[in-house]
Amino acid sequence: MTNKNDHREIEMTQKLNTGLTRRSFLASTGAFGAASMAFPHMAVSQDGKILTVRSYSDLQLLDPAFRLSLPEDDIIRAIYPPLIRPKSGDEWVWTPVAAASIEELDDLTIAFTIREMGFTDGYGEVTADDVKFSIERIADPANESPYAGDWAALKEVEVKDDRSGLIHLKNKFVPLWTTTLPTPASCIVSRKAVEELGGKIGTDPVAQSGQYLLAEWVPKQRTVLKRNPDWKHEHGGFEEIHIVPIEDPATAERGYESGDLDYTWTSVSSLPRLKENPPADSKVLEKPSLAYVWLGMNQDNEALQDVRIRRAIQHAIDREVVVDAAYFGAASVGNGIIAPGLPGNRDAVTYDYDPDKARALLAEAGAEGLMVTLDILNQTERLTAAQVIQANLADVGITCEIKQNDSGTFWSLGSKDGDYFMDLQLVLSRFSMQPDPSWATVWFTPEQVGVWNWERFDNAEYKALHDEGIVTSDPAERDRIYKEMQRLMDESGCYVFFTHEVVGAIHKDTIDPGLKPNGEALLSDFKPV
Amino acid sequence: MLNYAVKRLGLAVAIVSLAMFLLFCMIYLVPGDPASVALGPRATDAMKEALRIKMGLDQPIWVQFWHFFTGAWTGDLGEEVLSGRPVLDVVLEQLPFTLVLIAGGISWSVALGIPLGCWAAINRGSFADRLVGVLSVAVIAVPSFVIAIYALLIFAVTLQWLPAIGAGEPGDPGDQLVHLILPSLAVGLGWVGYIARMVRASMLEVLEASHIRTARAFGLPENMITYRYALTIAILPTITLLGVGIGQMLSSAVFAEIVFARPGVGKLVYDAILTRNFPVVTGAVLVTTVIFVLLNLVADLIVGALDPRVRSSF
Repeated sequence: MTNKNDHREIEMTQKLNTGLTRRSFLASTGAFGAASMAFPHMAVSQDGKILTVRSYSDLQLLDPAFRLSLPEDDIIRAIYPPLIRPKSGDEWVWTPVAAASIEELDDLTIAFTIREMGFTDGYGEVTADDVKFSIERIADPANESPYAGDWAALKEVEVKDDRSGLIHLKNKFVPLWTTTLPTPASCIVSRKAVEELGGKIGTDPVAQSGQYLLAEWVPKQRTVLKRNPDWKHEHGGFEEIHIVPIEDPATAERGYESGDLDYTWTSVSSLPRLKENPPADSKVLEKPSLAYVWLGMNQDNEALQDVRIRRAIQHAIDREVVVDAAYFGAASVGNGIIAPGLPGNRDAVTYDYDPDKARALLAEAGAEGLMVTLDILNQTERLTAAQVIQANLADVGITCEIKQNDSGTFWSLGSKDGDYFMDLQLVLSRFSMQPDPSWATVWFTPEQVGVWNWERFDNAEYKALHDEGIVTSDPAERDRIYKEMQRLMDESGCYVFFTHEVVGAIHKDTIDPGLKPNGEALLSDFKPV
Repeated sequence: MLNYAVKRLGLAVAIVSLAMFLLFCMIYLVPGDPASVALGPRATDAMKEALRIKMGLDQPIWVQFWHFFTGAWTGDLGEEVLSGRPVLDVVLEQLPFTLVLIAGGISWSVALGIPLGCWAAINRGSFADRLVGVLSVAVIAVPSFVIAIYALLIFAVTLQWLPAIGAGEPGDPGDQLVHLILPSLAVGLGWVGYIARMVRASMLEVLEASHIRTARAFGLPENMITYRYALTIAILPTITLLGVGIGQMLSSAVFAEIVFARPGVGKLVYDAILTRNFPVVTGAVLVTTVIFVLLNLVADLIVGALDPRVRSSF
């Protein structure tokens, strides 16, 4: 066990000029001139000791209960071990991390025993009481964790002894094993440390206990994880992991090509180019994504209240051409909101591309010469897709004005707290999901109208099916339920489904990346070849 | 001189106050709900409302402005929306990166622009002079982000001589210098043209001056006349130009920081706008405004100290 000061190494201050003397300056600048001309730029990663990867955002909070983005998830999982986590590979299965054993005794009870682990900073051994604290603080509505819903079915965590306990549920909750336990919602923090901090962890974590420790965070520049010397179980593949925040995928691709990164996601539209002409000593990966992209229609907007008009728009759009144009052939057409490989994924939608039928429906509804607006996020792929949609709609006599929005504006467009939600007409959206179909369907329930259900699709049968789906274990029955829900979405005329996209990634051939089935990185699973 | 200094200082305070007012109005007009953007899709209405209250967005606009205005003059720029870190700390930890980048940009522009300007002036009317003229206009016309992208593609991706991203290893000045080369080139290259044109024009004027003719009559070497007697005078307008150029370099730095994934105030503001992290936006813009105004104030005071005509005309 290490003492408190040993791990207070987090350096959040800049060291821009630390230690710069005239002698060292002259030496370094002089050496640079010769070295940079004599040798190609060398990558940071050497000897399999340091892995340098890109994340799309910098960390903001390292609290499992209040985390904000996916890159934080992976760092949190590395420093605060979860009971289980997703296993890298092509199947959605889990593997234990903090749990020595974990099993479902019945629909409402899960028994766990944790491994021998210690907290840093002198906070002692990890105990079952810390597990109880970590889970219940997320579930407790008083704490206002955005992740309280992950543990909505929790009754309590019962501590049996120092290392074992029981998780009691109020009701059956099928996604628990796919979208709650393998996420940071089961990460273990120290009760004592968090209480001393006043209930929340910021960017300066204390009492870490995972495979890695946060060794350094230089805001906007990098985060460094180092192997935890006190971790007594299987170690991560690299001694250090350097995580560089780069929001723009094109910048990240250039960073990879120049040798500054060992692994990065790529934009979908770059995939064909990279696959055809990969950088030297590199491998390009393509993984199925859990995302879904669709055109939504606000059924409460005056111009779109007639379902025949919405159906006309469904028939007017050639989904294959839209997807091909936007993603340069890298992505295939999707038929709903549930990604391939999950219960409820569909082979087809219930409408087809039929401009004549669209014109007939518009004439029947008396909506010839209709003018609509299409709101999109200001990204290249969205704009291309929108332009094809605009051309398709023009072909049936609908004039479409494309409105580009930055992310801050876009994600507030349909909110009932704003002043635009009733003026919103067509909107091109993309959501991502966890590997359970309920995570896709939840956003379109009546409770989400004016929150994330911007189409204002309000269907009681849909809601009943959603509730049924999260307590149904039988895969075949779940498949039926979720397909029926998407049929209802089709029937409303509010949706045109485009694609689930793909996830592109590129990595040095000297590393074996640990990736979830959808291509998201599991940093502690990356290994040198 | 004291009277002049007090007037200039008062003007600087007025400019900063006006900038704060305009900044606040612009932030207020930006569409999008900061609470929804910050908290993400899982936040409940209660959580969003709590954050709005924490950010003071439930207050009337004039109350919000008063809190911002009075806080700023006492050095309290508020807290970052989610992490709760003081905005001043957040901005100050990014500021050195931007200042170093601008210093690098100035170094490139001076190192290339002054010799080119001199060379063009000495060889007035020659092919070299016309070539420098064309190149100067060309680099002025090309936006800094275009220079940044091509520099990155050539020197980082194709040749792999220089790194493409980041600001270098913390605590390693050599590595930081290597990481500075391309971004500072992108920021400074446009100013090479301005400076070359300015130095050429000044040199031509000075080279016609009577003391230069006298030096030639005394038979002094041409290099000594050019670099010791002419350039030292001709370079003065360039220094004034650079003072003005710092403001433009600050805006060029935003592009360079994004293209090279480099930390700095520009990237901080860009990220904060996208996430509607308004305290960081206002804090960062205010700090850079104050720096810019202070630099101009110092320049004015120096000029005023050196030239009595400026003092009396104010």
